[in-house]
Amino acid sequence: MTTAANTAPIVSAAASPKKDDGGWQWWGTLLVAPYLVVFVVFVLYPVGYGFWLGHNIESYVEIFHDPIFLRAAVNTVLFLLIAVNLKMFVALLLSGFFAIPRWWIRILGLLFILPWAVPSIPTILSFRFMLNPEWGVINQLYFNLTFEDGPNWLNDPILAMSLAMVVHIWKSLPFWTLILLAGRLAIAKELYEAASIDGASNAQKFAHITWPSMRQLYVTCTILSMFFTLGDFNSVYLLTGGGPADLTHVLATLGIRYIRLDRVDLAMASIMCALPVMLPMMVYMMRRLSK
Amino acid sequence: MRKIVGEARLLLIGIPVFLWTAIPLYHMMLFALSPKEAAFKGKLWPDNPTLRNFELVFGQKHYYLNNLWHQMWNSLIIALAVGLLTLFVATAAAFAISRLRVRGGRIIMNMALLTYFVPAAFLALPMYKAMATYGLLNTQWALILAMVTIATPYAIWVLKQAADKLPLELDEAAIVDGATAPQLFRHVFVPLMAPSMVAVGTYALLLAWNEYLYAFLLLSRDVDTTLAVALGAFLSADDSPWELLMTTGVIYALPPAAIYYTFRRYMAADLTSGSVKT
Amino acid sequence: MKRILAYAAAAGILAAAAMPATAQEKLEVWWVKGFYKAEDDALFEAIRKFEGKTGVKVELSQYAIQDMIPKTVAALDARTVPDVAYADVYDFQVTSKWAFEGRLEDISSVITPMLNTFAPNTVETTLLWNDAAKKRAYYAFPLKQQTMHVQYWRDLLTQSGFKESDIPKNWAEYWSFWCDKVQPGYRRATGTRGFAIGQPMGVDSSDSFYSFLTFMDAYGVKLVDDDGKLLVDQPNVRQGLISALTDYTAPYAKGCVPPSATSWKDPDNNVAFHNRTNVMTHNATISIAAKWLDDMNNASLTAEQRAEAKKHYEENIATAGFPNRPNGQPMVYRAAVKTGVVFSEARNKNRAKEFVAFLLQEENLTPYVEGALGRWFPVTKNAQQAAFWRADKHRQAVQAQFAAGTVPFEFTKNWKFTILNNENVWAKAMNRVASEKWAVDRAVDEMIARIKQVAG
Repeated sequence: MTTAANTAPIVSAAASPKKDDGGWQWWGTLLVAPYLVVFVVFVLYPVGYGFWLGHNIESYVEIFHDPIFLRAAVNTVLFLLIAVNLKMFVALLLSGFFAIPRWWIRILGLLFILPWAVPSIPTILSFRFMLNPEWGVINQLYFNLTFEDGPNWLNDPILAMSLAMVVHIWKSLPFWTLILLAGRLAIAKELYEAASIDGASNAQKFAHITWPSMRQLYVTCTILSMFFTLGDFNSVYLLTGGGPADLTHVLATLGIRYIRLDRVDLAMASIMCALPVMLPMMVYMMRRLSK
Repeated sequence: MRKIVGEARLLLIGIPVFLWTAIPLYHMMLFALSPKEAAFKGKLWPDNPTLRNFELVFGQKHYYLNNLWHQMWNSLIIALAVGLLTLFVATAAAFAISRLRVRGGRIIMNMALLTYFVPAAFLALPMYKAMATYGLLNTQWALILAMVTIATPYAIWVLKQAADKLPLELDEAAIVDGATAPQLFRHVFVPLMAPSMVAVGTYALLLAWNEYLYAFLLLSRDVDTTLAVALGAFLSADDSPWELLMTTGVIYALPPAAIYYTFRRYMAADLTSGSVKT
Repeated sequence: MKRILAYAAAAGILAAAAMPATAQEKLEVWWVKGFYKAEDDALFEAIRKFEGKTGVKVELSQYAIQDMIPKTVAALDARTVPDVAYADVYDFQVTSKWAFEGRLEDISSVITPMLNTFAPNTVETTLLWNDAAKKRAYYAFPLKQQTMHVQYWRDLLTQSGFKESDIPKNWAEYWSFWCDKVQPGYRRATGTRGFAIGQPMGVDSSDSFYSFLTFMDAYGVKLVDDDGKLLVDQPNVRQGLISALTDYTAPYAKGCVPPSATSWKDPDNNVAFHNRTNVMTHNATISIAAKWLDDMNNASLTAEQRAEAKKHYEENIATAGFPNRPNGQPMVYRAAVKTGVVFSEARNKNRAKEFVAFLLQEENLTPYVEGALGRWFPVTKNAQQAAFWRADKHRQAVQAQFAAGTVPFEFTKNWKFTILNNENVWAKAMNRVASEKWAVDRAVDEMIARIKQVAG
């Protein structure tokens, strides 16, 4: 990752007497004030309150005795590891596909972005209706072809969880593909041309040119995507609602379940449990991004 | 010959990608164009497609759709407000940090990053509490401010990345001419940053338009809520008007798609290069 | 930097202090969104009259049924509660718990003067224990009630080659009739993948526990005594639970229930019935029939659709009770009395009580209950005898079921059963058997252990 910002200060102190008269600092302060207000009022206070809500040790004891919580924690970890990595890997491959200059690939790219641009509710419900075992289009087709009842898609926790991952990937794959595509297009063409002259195969080009220049970006995107996915409420909530038998919850949807049970303290405690995992990743990312 | 084989290989990737993207969207359309009976028959194409569902939805002719247009309007107003406010807050901050080198800029960038990492779903309940404390609960301001809070960190990040790439000579020239900070902002910064600003505004607008969880928590009355919440409520109508739900869904999905395509040129380049350093 | 933060904090405090000032007296009311326009219109009308009478502005917010609890819980947590709140699921899941925790206002002053207007086994369920104040009082108001009915398609029964008179009265034969006779007949006649029984089994559904507990009642199982003490350690209780769970899950195992029933939410058995996936289903209101009544009078539908709806309501759909219990006795149904509350932290408690008293008056309450087209049964003696309940076969069946006497839910005696319903230990046990292939007795033992853990 090359730092885009030139390290030279905007105006060296010597060159500009204006810098010392306070006018710039004064304006600067005034202009960052709105964001500071937003931060203090809508981030610091709520987060502090969240900590206060989740400070009760008994809540933690209680959720660790709740099999649903443990299951949700496992689901969350699996969701992060499998869905995010699968998504990023496919995004990496597809970014190569979309980099190919063809008119029809350009048009396909336009369509491909739609899942990311349109709202979750109708599209995820569309998935849910497709998967309905009795009247959903998938099982109806299956029945017409085989005269057998199709699988009960959302009733098997493993299958339902996998489908939630599919929905999640369907929704966010376009975004990451776009980002990795931008990364690919930034690689100098000359490198590839030189490699072609040396008679390198496509695989060699990927291994020696594409991947080394994309690796940093790829890892950053993966970790970022994990943060976003951790908060993915819609994919699971709208597809399975945590069912069957509360076996497909993730941490993001567990909060709502505890609220339904009138246990706000448990809702907060369950979210706080993600902190020990998130914090090291956050610190690592901050270092990485704010070089 | 080789060319044909190469094209065929590309199609082998292209066709699955097309199906993968299109099927759920097509299925949504299919429901919207089917009469109720046909929608539950699992047909791949309705025998007699009809626009009647659209007529029912546009005419607000289902009890759960009584405020459809009103809610559409709410969604629009809220999304616009979020877009503009986010843009204002983020542009000002990015300018101050990147060009004016305000003291503590590093710390502010780190704060923004940290917020950017916290998953939005985790903040929902504390945010509700905060809005209650400020007496904003069940007003549209609550949702607008919450969404601005969520969109701003990313927006600042993108804009600062873009601002850092602007050539320094421009600033220096302006300063030599004796420009004040506001003049520098107006004549140098904004014109050069316009594409990124469009991208960021669009991003915030789409985020607010598509939001469900926060809208559900922070808004109350039927006449205040957004279309997303209304769609969620639709699920409890026990005559299961799923064909109308999907029809409304299609209508609800059109504006963001249109907005995205309108500003696509800016989106791709800026959001992506800004979101992660390249 | 420090200075900036100080400014920002000051600005934040200012923003927080700028509370909107109000002139007119306000009453904040949260109410579940009705299923039919007629229902809500009656509510709006009552509110309009109340405003006219008192000069108070009623701020009404309506939410979908499944959203009421999360919204109210969040509001309680943030201490910005509405003055009056009502939802169709409060009684199952939160009312007695909130009373126990002292979060509800004692509204005996409203309820006591009206006691003689209520039918038996209605208002008693709102006499609740407040553990903070160590007293029992009326902490909620009864609005309407529901009980369990069976709905079936007469025309599908005919198509399957049977008459209504063929439906057995005895417990075991009854379920076997639908599963072993009607379903094969229906499939043969139509060549579709129809199922006989819509058996709600989803964890995220109140239908599933209502239906299961009805099966449990059929076996005469009592989980708690009148003082709320658990009886689950008695061997006959365990045996009864095993029988009930066996009967409940058997049709699913035999393939007579749609596979997705294990993940059904409340509307889903209605959906499956309406689109004729099921020949019969049990449902704790007659909402299934009422939907067609609503359709037949719905001007936005086409003439054919209205005609079809009329035919469904008047001829094709039947409302009935359960068969006799396994011991041969007629079924005694459990009724759920729907409760609304005034919160102890409400800002305008006096007006809130006034509003409740006003709403509970016959001329306001009856149009609201009847606006639901027979879905909810009244809690007052007079309204139960109204002509409305003799208007058609469906309503007559409902009235007859209630007239035979009803029993209350466990949570009216032990509030912790709201947690069990909320967690839905009943549907979890079903899922253990149906999806995970556990033996029934193992699932029952797990269920009993959980009941003891929560409510012991």
